[in-house]
Amino acid sequence: MILSRLKHHSDTVAGLTSLAAMVLISVAAFYGLIGFSGQGADWQLLSDNYYQSILLFSIKQAALSMLLALLLAWPVARALYYGRLPFQHSFLSLCILCFVMPTLVLITGLVALLGRDGLLTPLLGESWNLYGLNGILIAHIYLNLPFAVRVLLQALHNIPDLSWKLAVQLKFSPWQRLRLIELPALRGAFLQLSGFIFVLCFNSFAVVLALGGGPRATTLEVAIYQALKYDFNIPEALTLAWSQLLIAGALFLLIARAGRSNWLAVDTLSHQFTPQPGLFSQWGHRAVYLLSWLGMLLPMLALIPGLYQSDLSRFSLSALVQPTLTSLVLALVSASTAITLAWLMLIPIRQARLQQHNRRAMVLEWLSTHSLVAPAMVISVGLYILLLPHFDLDHHGIWLVLLLNCALVVPYAVQQLRPRLLQYDAQYQHLSQNLKLSRRQRWWVEWPFIKPTFISTFALILLLALGDVAIISIFGSDDWTTLPLLIYSYAGSYRIAEASLASLLLLLICALIVWAFERARHHA
Amino acid sequence: MRNVLNRMTVLLSGLTLAGTVQSADLTVYTYDSFISEWGPGPQLEKAFEQHCQCDIEFIGVEDGVSILNRLRIEGERTKADVILGIDDALMEETRATGLITEHQQDLSPLKAELNWQDPQFVPVDYGYFAFIYDSRKISQPVTSLKALVESDARVLYQDPRTSTPGQGLMMWMKAVYGEQSSQGWQQLAGHTVTVTKGWWEAYSMFLKGSADYVLSYTTSPAYHQLNEQTSHYKAAPFSEGHIAQVELAAVTRTSQNPVLARRFVSFLTSDEAQRIIPVTNWMLPVRDNVELPPAFDQLMQPTRIGFSASEMADQRKGWLREWRNAAAL
Repeated sequence: MILSRLKHHSDTVAGLTSLAAMVLISVAAFYGLIGFSGQGADWQLLSDNYYQSILLFSIKQAALSMLLALLLAWPVARALYYGRLPFQHSFLSLCILCFVMPTLVLITGLVALLGRDGLLTPLLGESWNLYGLNGILIAHIYLNLPFAVRVLLQALHNIPDLSWKLAVQLKFSPWQRLRLIELPALRGAFLQLSGFIFVLCFNSFAVVLALGGGPRATTLEVAIYQALKYDFNIPEALTLAWSQLLIAGALFLLIARAGRSNWLAVDTLSHQFTPQPGLFSQWGHRAVYLLSWLGMLLPMLALIPGLYQSDLSRFSLSALVQPTLTSLVLALVSASTAITLAWLMLIPIRQARLQQHNRRAMVLEWLSTHSLVAPAMVISVGLYILLLPHFDLDHHGIWLVLLLNCALVVPYAVQQLRPRLLQYDAQYQHLSQNLKLSRRQRWWVEWPFIKPTFISTFALILLLALGDVAIISIFGSDDWTTLPLLIYSYAGSYRIAEASLASLLLLLICALIVWAFERARHHA
Repeated sequence: MRNVLNRMTVLLSGLTLAGTVQSADLTVYTYDSFISEWGPGPQLEKAFEQHCQCDIEFIGVEDGVSILNRLRIEGERTKADVILGIDDALMEETRATGLITEHQQDLSPLKAELNWQDPQFVPVDYGYFAFIYDSRKISQPVTSLKALVESDARVLYQDPRTSTPGQGLMMWMKAVYGEQSSQGWQQLAGHTVTVTKGWWEAYSMFLKGSADYVLSYTTSPAYHQLNEQTSHYKAAPFSEGHIAQVELAAVTRTSQNPVLARRFVSFLTSDEAQRIIPVTNWMLPVRDNVELPPAFDQLMQPTRIGFSASEMADQRKGWLREWRNAAAL
């Protein structure tokens, strides 16, 4: 008994230590910036017109992205739920691929499709301009809509068969079914999704920098980068950073209070009892389904013509080998570390939930996911400033990239694992305690329950780590290059064909990972 | 699983160690396009290493401003012996770090046009900002900055917060419009295609036909003539005069090898290096009578206007604010 207490205790300590380490990274980064400038934030900025206009723009674009993504995702999720459509599994895998699509690849695809000389641009009229709010919204919707589809579909699948049988007996009209059965089932998912997508878009960097097109379309995150760049204006960067942290952080706390849904996990695709829609809505569902396939595939296919635009004969594929390997190793190490940290950090959170310390659980949860709302630019530049005088970052910067990548994907791992682990605790914790199972025995019960979620979580953060460039573009050196960084430098010198080729390769690797992990999960 | 992890650790440390090099005799901070495959870096490195029998290492950062930012962060601990590629608009801020020592060079071979006397910074190349147009599409180009601002031509330029040409345009607007520059920016914003992060983004968009005028240098036409044998890209001469950008080299106070560092700086202004830099970095040589391809003789000879480095240092913050308020609203 004492021994098991002790073990229990050591788990908690490991969890709290991991949590402290994550918080320390952020604190150290802010400390690096504040300590270096010797000044705090510049609050005068709050009354500057420009500050107000970027704050408003950040909120406006995030709100619009969120609203449009959700409004468009809803009919797609309904089509999938009612439609009995072919290739649904592939469609859902494609959704994951879209959500984790490296932003650089997406931007290259969108420019090829809708840019000044894009394939579809002639259809859009004279005044069309991808740069600005248009481009930002399209990219954000592309990234987030498929994700929303998966979550909404899951919520629809959670509707008990009984509700539908009752609805048939009571002869509900379609409108009544929507209002009395579907909407209540979706409410929680909508609430969570709106907060999550808003935060992701509010903090958006690469998309806004590439497609924003100057001072008219700037988010706080991009403004932080600009303030640090020419001005080296740390007080201004800090003001922007605190504003972002405050707004996104508060919102995130609100979502945490609002309850939780099962995120990306699609547990049951087996068809239960669902009402047959009329012929008219069946065709509607098919049309929506077909359009979503098109919308998701087009930016990927648009990369292909780029390959023929210029002469690739001089280009040797071997230039891609080393960056691909570096990317894969970096992503694997970051993802493994991140999922371990997430697992450990969840231990004190689960204990707090079991003991009904809900307020404590919420604080711990916020801390474990705080790097989702913290400005990535401040974290990376702050650590850079702090470490540069002491470490040879020119040659060993890869370790810092590893650390930062890990810090940025940990929140996703926590978000994904948490509901399943809490579900496990709720169902089996008492039982396993009563049976006085040993640590090893408990593990044998827990693992099969967690495994599918664990696999999909690992895949998700692996993919996210694979695509990240925001950090690497600051620390990259000639000694090692990752695939996203290579695409970035090709695109920067307008070697479109090479950029398209590297993007397609990265996309292919992501697709393979999605495919492999979805398979593994279904067999798990 | 553990086995896989172990292997990955080995692979990863292998990757980093492969990148580790012995500390060089001379470390030079510069911007990364300077040391790209097509830039002057590789040729300069080869030529100088033959003279000195030494090993120099270039460390490339994103651009000129990043060199300064890095010096600010590293302070006394900086690895740099020489910094190369900061421009005259950033000279005073760089001097203020207190990390630059005197160059002890003979400045008399430099062009009289530069009128250079600074004891700490040495020019290595220079250029004039200019708007480039395609003469196949535009037969009557604008002849002044005012005319361009008041026209409805589609214009591309770079963000003054992230690029030096953008900073140049900021000075240009200030020199031409003075107190009225805010209105000038607003007028320009009405027909600006987009403001890009750096020079390449804007210039390549222009080459793909996205705009009538793009902010670049008077030397850009020489690039097209020598690399593509085309002469329809031209720089528009502006009657108000043009802003110059002088790129500089300097020796750090903390250098462990100041003698070699000064030799390298002296090499940069030598006839040999000055023949390499213009045709790889597409700027003008700082010496007279450097043997260059004829395309360089056909470039326009603008009148120079602008501000001193110290005026720029004092005013930058205020001007940036003015620009972003005028261009964003």
